[in-house]
Amino acid sequence: MTPAWWDKLTGLSGRRQGTSADLAARFHFFQAVLDGNNRTLELMTEMGEKLGGDYLFDVNYTRSAYAALFAAISDSLRNFNQLTDDRYPELAKTLNRIDGLVQRMLTNTEPASGRLVLFYPEITWDLADEVGGKNYHLAELANALHLPVPESFAITTTAFTLFFRHNGLEERLAELPRADEGALAGLRGAILAGEFPEEFTAALAAAVATLRSRLGSTATLAVRSSAEEEDGDFSFAGQFETVLNIPCTVAAVQAAYKEVVASLFQTNAISYQRQLGYDLGRLKMAVGCVAMVAAQASGVIFTAAGGRDRSRLAISAAWGLGKAVVDGLTDADLYTVAKGDELRLVARRIGAKAQMVVNTGASGIETKETPPAQQQVACLSEKEVLALAQQATAIEEHFKCPQDIEWAKDAAGRLFFLQTRPLRMEEPEEATASALPPETPTGHAVLLRGQGVVVQRGIAAGSVFLLRHLDELERIPKGSILVAGHDSPLFVQAIPFLHAIITDVGVPTSHMASICREFNLPTVVNAGSATATLRHGQEVTLHANEGSDWVLYEGIVHGLLRQEKQTAAKMRALYEFRRQKYIMRHIAPLHLINPLDQEFTPEKCQTIHDLIRFMHEKAVQALVASAERQGRGRLFGGQTGPRKLALPIPVELLVIDLGDGLRKAAGKKEVEPAQVESVPLAAVLAGMLTPGVWQQEAMALRGADLFSGMMRAADLTAGNEATLAHNVALVSRDYLNMGLRFGYHFNMLDCYCSETPRNNHIYFRFVGGAAAITNRSRRIALMAMVLAEYGFALKAKGDLLVGRISGLSRPEIERILTQIGRLIGFTRQLDARLEADETVRLLARRFLAGDYRVAL
Amino acid sequence: MAKHNIMVIDDEKIVGDMAKLSFEQDGYEVETFLNGESALERLKEKRFDVVVTDLKMKGVDGLEVLRTVKKLHPGTVVIMITAFANLDVAIEALRDDVHDFFPKPVKIKELKTSIKKALGDL
Repeated sequence: MTPAWWDKLTGLSGRRQGTSADLAARFHFFQAVLDGNNRTLELMTEMGEKLGGDYLFDVNYTRSAYAALFAAISDSLRNFNQLTDDRYPELAKTLNRIDGLVQRMLTNTEPASGRLVLFYPEITWDLADEVGGKNYHLAELANALHLPVPESFAITTTAFTLFFRHNGLEERLAELPRADEGALAGLRGAILAGEFPEEFTAALAAAVATLRSRLGSTATLAVRSSAEEEDGDFSFAGQFETVLNIPCTVAAVQAAYKEVVASLFQTNAISYQRQLGYDLGRLKMAVGCVAMVAAQASGVIFTAAGGRDRSRLAISAAWGLGKAVVDGLTDADLYTVAKGDELRLVARRIGAKAQMVVNTGASGIETKETPPAQQQVACLSEKEVLALAQQATAIEEHFKCPQDIEWAKDAAGRLFFLQTRPLRMEEPEEATASALPPETPTGHAVLLRGQGVVVQRGIAAGSVFLLRHLDELERIPKGSILVAGHDSPLFVQAIPFLHAIITDVGVPTSHMASICREFNLPTVVNAGSATATLRHGQEVTLHANEGSDWVLYEGIVHGLLRQEKQTAAKMRALYEFRRQKYIMRHIAPLHLINPLDQEFTPEKCQTIHDLIRFMHEKAVQALVASAERQGRGRLFGGQTGPRKLALPIPVELLVIDLGDGLRKAAGKKEVEPAQVESVPLAAVLAGMLTPGVWQQEAMALRGADLFSGMMRAADLTAGNEATLAHNVALVSRDYLNMGLRFGYHFNMLDCYCSETPRNNHIYFRFVGGAAAITNRSRRIALMAMVLAEYGFALKAKGDLLVGRISGLSRPEIERILTQIGRLIGFTRQLDARLEADETVRLLARRFLAGDYRVAL
Repeated sequence: MAKHNIMVIDDEKIVGDMAKLSFEQDGYEVETFLNGESALERLKEKRFDVVVTDLKMKGVDGLEVLRTVKKLHPGTVVIMITAFANLDVAIEALRDDVHDFFPKPVKIKELKTSIKKALGDL
């Protein structure tokens, strides 16, 4: 938000130079901004479409498409700066940062901040790659959500590169694709024996000293991996080392650092990367140094239970450190919370918690028996469960996707967050993995059934491999079903050889569970007696549905088996594709939604789309301010002071007349719809005011809609600031530019409607919404169906729709604008209703037939 | 009926990877190559029903692939894709009996339709 004194100052200077020539010039820049924004958005949707998986494209395409997009947004920004007298210099810096990130992806070059160590409060969005996914996400919890996170600092990938260069290890990275076991062991040995460059040690010493001064000299740290892309599309769950409870000294941190970095080259981690199609040797590792919480209890939260059910979240908990839960060492407590409007604890299962992991006195950790008296005691009270659930919901909302969160509670009962990452959701087609058949297939005895938890559903057959020791992982033959006492993330190296995994003990929130979901590997944990019941080499068929709904048959049940799974191959194939698609992360997502929000600032722009949104809003404001400064001065024969349009529907709209858009006798403050002489605005209003299109029936109206409605009403009475964040229509007799925001969605209409068809055009854009993305996409589909009827050229992607049409005669343009007016009213709150694709077609047909009922 | 097999040649891995993934979904067998040289080697050993090749590649380019295919396996269908939609090259390629010619980015569905047509499945 800009300070009030700034407004006053610019207001004064504006009055001094407040001529109609000034407004004319500003209008010219305004249109140029809109034009640049429109071009950028079109290129953006086109890129999104081409990179979306339906096209074969190469890097040349990505480069040239991005170059065109960058040119368009730069144009827009140049005109915007003229329009606003360079009021937002930060935008150019943001654009440069975004450009830097995209160029880095296009050219495969390294991050460039040059910082070796960063404390969490210093970590901003553009440093995400340099500090790795794990550090970045955790820092976000503290910085953006103000949630309790232990004191922490990150050692960047720049430090990693420096360390490798200093020790002459860069060439070994290049040889990694051909490295065998021996070479990997050699590389790990060289890392552990590595020396630290002086500047690295100095940066670390300063950070360690700062931490000691804040936490005292007895503080200890967890030193954790935070590789590039870790906790991104793929979790790398449990693939790298974490060193717990080490003293806060340079020597101890350095030793732990080397251990963590060396784990990048462990057999399992290399195998994981290979299966996902990574170019070996390219992944760099940042490291996080996080103050240890003296955890009384810890655990994991899945904000969508089982990776499927978004209406519930699941919290697991065990005594001591979280390692017991994520490594699947113990049977944990499991709490299920229904999300809805009010959080409700709906299920509570107290686990046996036979073992716990604790800090030993000075440094290091140990696993021990949980004292019997504690085993049956719930780790969390209902109040604590709900407190965690509430914060977890906020985290999910912030990252806009289900999360897998690690938490801890200290002896004083304070809750801390230690990690959050995207939770891999089950694909819809997997969900069809049929329910269990009611009858046992003939000739196949049931070996195991019902005890334990399905982690990944599916059907698989093979020979049992009874694992007694981790060394045996290398000997597992292809097509085995791995049966083990408890789970381990190290199983990943065997995944190419496995058809399924069954463990006696384990929890569905462990690292291994995450990985099995990533690879669609049918898995059941906590099955109790699998190792005792099954024989090594025995042929079996697993049918895992969900929850405890699973069964293991003796022999191969051919009738159940479907086509061979190709998931690993699919992921390999998609790696390069994903990498190209990542570019869109810096372009398409929209973070700035509500212009009345504190967060609606140049600093919060992270993507090209944010820049467009910000510039549009501020461009309208600048133009309105310019018009206001002129008061009732005349421009092109019009009266330029903004006036409120008195409408019988809940829409606040200010009209700025650029020339002959309003009747001469119109009021100075307020105008009636009948006094609108602008042909395009009159046509749109006729549509918006058509009886029936403005849904008055009780609909699930959101708090946000109500709130923003009130805010806008309040603005109008607030004097000079009134024009901030308004819906504004700029009109002349033939021209209309109008932005209409309802809650979280935004309509933009730009049209020219004259007697010369070749000059005429309609440009319509719609973006956003508050409902789930599927519902928002359906609203877009509905609008597209309607607009297509009139011959619009349309581009749609997610919740963004851009349509244009030109060269039509004036009556035709008017007719279409009236339909668009109806469409704006009709679709205002429709997303909440669009629960099925069929509804879209039904309502589109009705709308076109002049029937505006939305009740089904 | 045996599966139809398709050879895909493009010096960018992403093109072959994605083509392989989507063609395999339709039941084709797919082999991918990152340059013309290795593809020509393979063509000496094996006949493919369809060859989808990039036009501009270092060394052996798409036109050379086309000529070799027509010499070794006259029945094989060749489809050319290229980032440089150059009309002259297109005309030359058509004269040399290329089945279809697509500028990149090419919609996978269109490519599949062209392949099906060539194989008489449509």
